[in-house]
Amino acid sequence: MNDKPQFVYVIYIRATAEKLWRALIDPEFTRQYWAGTWQESDWKVGAPWRIMIPDGRIADAGEIVEIEPPRRLVLTWRNEFRPELRKEGYSRLTYQLEQQGDMVKLSLTHEIDRPESNLIEAVAQGWPAILSSLKSLLETGESLEATRRWPENMK
Amino acid sequence: MSRPKFVYVIYIASTPDKVFRALTSTEMSKQYWSDNYVESDWKVGSPFALKLARHEKQDITGEVLECDPPRRLAYTFHPHHGGMEAEGASRVVFEIESLGDQVKLTVTHDGFQEGSKVFEAISQGWPHVLSSLKSYLESGKGITAPWYRDDAKQVAGPAR
Repeated sequence: MNDKPQFVYVIYIRATAEKLWRALIDPEFTRQYWAGTWQESDWKVGAPWRIMIPDGRIADAGEIVEIEPPRRLVLTWRNEFRPELRKEGYSRLTYQLEQQGDMVKLSLTHEIDRPESNLIEAVAQGWPAILSSLKSLLETGESLEATRRWPENMK
Repeated sequence: MSRPKFVYVIYIASTPDKVFRALTSTEMSKQYWSDNYVESDWKVGSPFALKLARHEKQDITGEVLECDPPRRLAYTFHPHHGGMEAEGASRVVFEIESLGDQVKLTVTHDGFQEGSKVFEAISQGWPHVLSSLKSYLESGKGITAPWYRDDAKQVAGPAR
């Protein structure tokens, strides 16, 4: 049995897979529901990938492992702005999108190859808020207010 | 090996009162729980039922363990269909926290036996129901995934 640190989250969003895919990677969308951040990448296998904090720092960075729009995206992910998390090295994030009628089942798995991980604990707190806000944005046109800006207490 | 436990957190643009009402009202639950609905007088010790539109006389039953509107609700949970009737009751706890103009809803479902079929079923079910609850409270319309409707057809069909 796999007992490595792992966070799994499933959410259903009334949208097309194409629209949701765009919302996951396009800065115009992510700035609205992902704490003001945006991602930079060429979105090709092997290409570098990073999340930018509005103040210019890099939040997380890694490399694209698999990309199959609008169904599957796998990337490596290392925290870059909190030294105690950065030293854990690379984790792995998988998004899986399945169109089901007029909604998409979005499954996210964030895992790391270590016996214990503060990174996975930290992202396990963050993902439900980010993905809840993404769902609100796509279904109602408005993200959740608390996720629209980088939190002031997060240095 | 530790016993399985299911935890799910979702944030909803709503108020604790509305979320609590949606979890306890028969009429509101029909709107997001794929035509299933809850029934109880919500007094501690009273019976709880989740009436399943697709399983006549095979409702999920239980007992109200805690009811502290609009913050906390807990009941036992015992399905009687799909080979799950032999397992004992498990436990569901809803915690509602107000955070500015949104609500953080945490659902914790535990108390399963090892290798529990109920655990497998609810791990599929809660993300679906709670996604729909959020859609219903924010946009007025719940969601039901095709797989849930297909399951329902099979169960209701003459083959059974």
